[in-house]
Amino acid sequence: MSSLTLKNLSKSFGEPPVVRDVSLTIEEGEFVSLLGPSGCGKTTILRMVAGLAAPDRGLILIGDEDVTRFPPNRRNLGLVFQSYALFPHLTVFENVAFGLRRRKIGGAELDRRVAETLARVRLDSFGERYPRQLSGGQQQRVAIARALAPQPRVLLFDEPLSNLDAQLRDAMQIELKRLQRELRVTTLFVTHDQAEALSMSDRVGVMARGVVQQLAAPEDIYHRPTTAFVASFIGKPNRLSGVVSLRDGSGGRVRIGAELELAAIQIEGPVGATVDVIVRQEAIAVRLGRAAQGEIDGRVVLRSFSGARVQVVVRAAGGVELIAEAPSSGAIASLAVGDAVALAVPSTAVFAMAPEAGGP
Amino acid sequence: MIRARHGLLLIAPLALVLAGFFLAPVLMLLPTSFREYVPAAGFRPGYWTLENYLRIITDDFYREVIWRTLSLGLLVTLACLVLGYPVAYVIARGPPRWRMMLTLLVIFPMLLNLVVRSFGWIVLLANRGLVNNLLLQLGVLSAPVKLLFNLTGVMIGLTHIYLPFMVLMLVAAIRNVPRDVEAAAATLGSSRLHVFVAVTLPLSAPGILAGSILVFVLTISALVTPRMLGGPTYQVMATVIYDEYMQLLDWARGSALAFALTLMTVGIIALSSALTRRWAGMS
Amino acid sequence: MSAAADAAARAGLGVSIAAWAVVVFLQLPVIVVVLAAFSTTSYLTIPPQGVTLAWFAKVLSDPQYLSAIRMSLLLALGSTAISLLIGVPAAYAIHRRLVPGAQALTSLLMAPLIMPSVVIGVALLQYFSLTGIRGTLLGLLFAHVVITVPYVVRATLASLAGLELTMEEAARVLGATGFETFRLITLPLIAPGLAAGALFAFITSLDNVPVTIFLISASQTTLPVLIFSSVEMGVDPSVAAVSTLLIAVTGILLLIAERRAGLHRFV
Repeated sequence: MSSLTLKNLSKSFGEPPVVRDVSLTIEEGEFVSLLGPSGCGKTTILRMVAGLAAPDRGLILIGDEDVTRFPPNRRNLGLVFQSYALFPHLTVFENVAFGLRRRKIGGAELDRRVAETLARVRLDSFGERYPRQLSGGQQQRVAIARALAPQPRVLLFDEPLSNLDAQLRDAMQIELKRLQRELRVTTLFVTHDQAEALSMSDRVGVMARGVVQQLAAPEDIYHRPTTAFVASFIGKPNRLSGVVSLRDGSGGRVRIGAELELAAIQIEGPVGATVDVIVRQEAIAVRLGRAAQGEIDGRVVLRSFSGARVQVVVRAAGGVELIAEAPSSGAIASLAVGDAVALAVPSTAVFAMAPEAGGP
Repeated sequence: MIRARHGLLLIAPLALVLAGFFLAPVLMLLPTSFREYVPAAGFRPGYWTLENYLRIITDDFYREVIWRTLSLGLLVTLACLVLGYPVAYVIARGPPRWRMMLTLLVIFPMLLNLVVRSFGWIVLLANRGLVNNLLLQLGVLSAPVKLLFNLTGVMIGLTHIYLPFMVLMLVAAIRNVPRDVEAAAATLGSSRLHVFVAVTLPLSAPGILAGSILVFVLTISALVTPRMLGGPTYQVMATVIYDEYMQLLDWARGSALAFALTLMTVGIIALSSALTRRWAGMS
Repeated sequence: MSAAADAAARAGLGVSIAAWAVVVFLQLPVIVVVLAAFSTTSYLTIPPQGVTLAWFAKVLSDPQYLSAIRMSLLLALGSTAISLLIGVPAAYAIHRRLVPGAQALTSLLMAPLIMPSVVIGVALLQYFSLTGIRGTLLGLLFAHVVITVPYVVRATLASLAGLELTMEEAARVLGATGFETFRLITLPLIAPGLAAGALFAFITSLDNVPVTIFLISASQTTLPVLIFSSVEMGVDPSVAAVSTLLIAVTGILLLIAERRAGLHRFV
């Protein structure tokens, strides 16, 4: 098990650069996700770490070893592909054994290690089957077993769960996390799904346009986003247009529409500047009744029930519409269209940023 | 990763073989076509001429041969289209069980030796051959009909040889016609014939063109079948080239004709590629 | 309505009949040749006047035919093997864009297919005469390589196109060298396509007349050229007999290819 260090990694395929001067360190045994929209460079970074693409500049170190110029077969890494890339002409056993055979491991030890790894992903008796005989979830687990069997120093995942349906994906997330904890493998996980990244990782690196915007623990990413992009990418945003009306430290107040004013914890721009305002849906508290001090009056215009959660669209002063979301077990579930409600919008849920820096 | 240097290594042997046994020979043939051959003496030294090429355009015999070759190409292509489309259609759209059988039955003669197939037609079409014998016995004819050593025999033979090529290209083309477009037309009230004419046929047109070009080019280049079924008197370009080289030993004239033939085939293929690209851009 | 009847109805009865009629037309000369090989008379009659195996015996004991068969097989096997050896790596290099100008290169490699065989034949005749290799086995062998290798390259490119790149990448990350990846992953997966290409190459060489006829000498001829010249001199059922042998061999090869690799899927 080793740490993984990236130093000033850069790559472009023409203009603009896909990866810009990225540096980060993943500690031994740590699970780090790279999260971002497609095109942000996260997959390119993964491929450079694996040796499948060459960086224009920068270094890749596994432990203390500089592997930047090493071909992929000399890096001792594990890679789980989005499409699994199982070898269709080999049995499950031979797929998993492939990496071990390349390291000249054979005979009884090979059998033992393959059996062990298959047991770990709970595919004990599947050795003699072929990939085409397996379900998507099972193929997924074979891909993981195949990457794990040679005991790599670092484990890489390229959006491995995006081909699975929702329920299977949730189950696999938990299984993967459990596996990672057991084995304490240094893991780099690439995904565009924020729930996935936040739930599985020790730290999350949010990326946009080739740059790591913030690398921190999931709860810091969520509650204390350091850039506007991170604020808009994480959580469920209301996106509105507004004007800065007051600056106070790093925050202040923004005016949306003609009449609505909100306190914001983070503002980019001076007083008078036009800004994109992000208001987190899940942070807005809605209750029946008239607005008290610090609250906003509104009327429910739409209600949407999706099982565990309920969303309501509330029209406030000046025609501004805000979406609020809360668990369906709470008071929000009893609201109906036409109800007069009061909204409490904490400043910690409001972020204002310069318009062209908007999210995806 | 694999370096570019390895790439050159991988491709070098093939490149060398092609350079040495294809490019060089063909390039070296070009000067020969500008020389004059003196019978029993060899090439006239130091003498270069365009006469060989000019003769192709001016001499009656050559013009007739070229005309015959080209019309043969056209006729055979048309015959292959008309005969081949039904087969291709059934292979592409018919019952799966038939598909394998039909495909194998189409491929089988294609893999068979050209000479053997042409020989089969001789047995069938000769004055004392099967077809004539049968028709005489049945009383349909009073004297045998000449089916060999003329346009009829060569055309039948060439159609038979190149039909499988056409069928295979048409199958690919018909397969590419999306079924749901046809289904949409049908639900909008088109009869089956109309669906075919208005949807299937036009959408398979690129494949029809590709197949036709292929058959045409192959037909005008053919040597064996026209020689066997046309005999020494019914000539096409390829057989004339053969005679110039093997009987008359006039390599100069032969190579000029050879390049003329090559220009025709390459030209037609280039033209059709340009056309297909334009079509592909439009669709 | 059963699925088969349904499909037949969709295809149209008239069209189906036409299709089968054409297919019968395609088999006609083949059937006739086989019948002629067993017939006692020089020309085939219906009904046949007698059945005999005499022609087969004559052919199989005739040294000229035997040496021609041997030569044809030698050339076919040799040129196919060489074509595979030089064609597959080249196709791989083109597919993975390891050399610049992949498109132009592919066109060049396919050029022998476009050029009329008779032109290749006369060009090689002159070339071999000038370089003194006329009449040598090696010259003839490489002449056949020129006409067979495009089939191998084309089949390989088509097979490689269907192969996921990530599979090779997975093998590399798992520790396989470039060559191991090719041997263990790429090759087994493109093998069926390669086999089809090799089959076409083999048969192209076995069949060839327009190039071969210009290059052979009196002492060494190939089977199709021999048949060709025999027919020029007059029809003889021994020609039918040797042709039937060729038909049988081709038929068996085709069945094997279909059974092993599902040949009908590659065309």
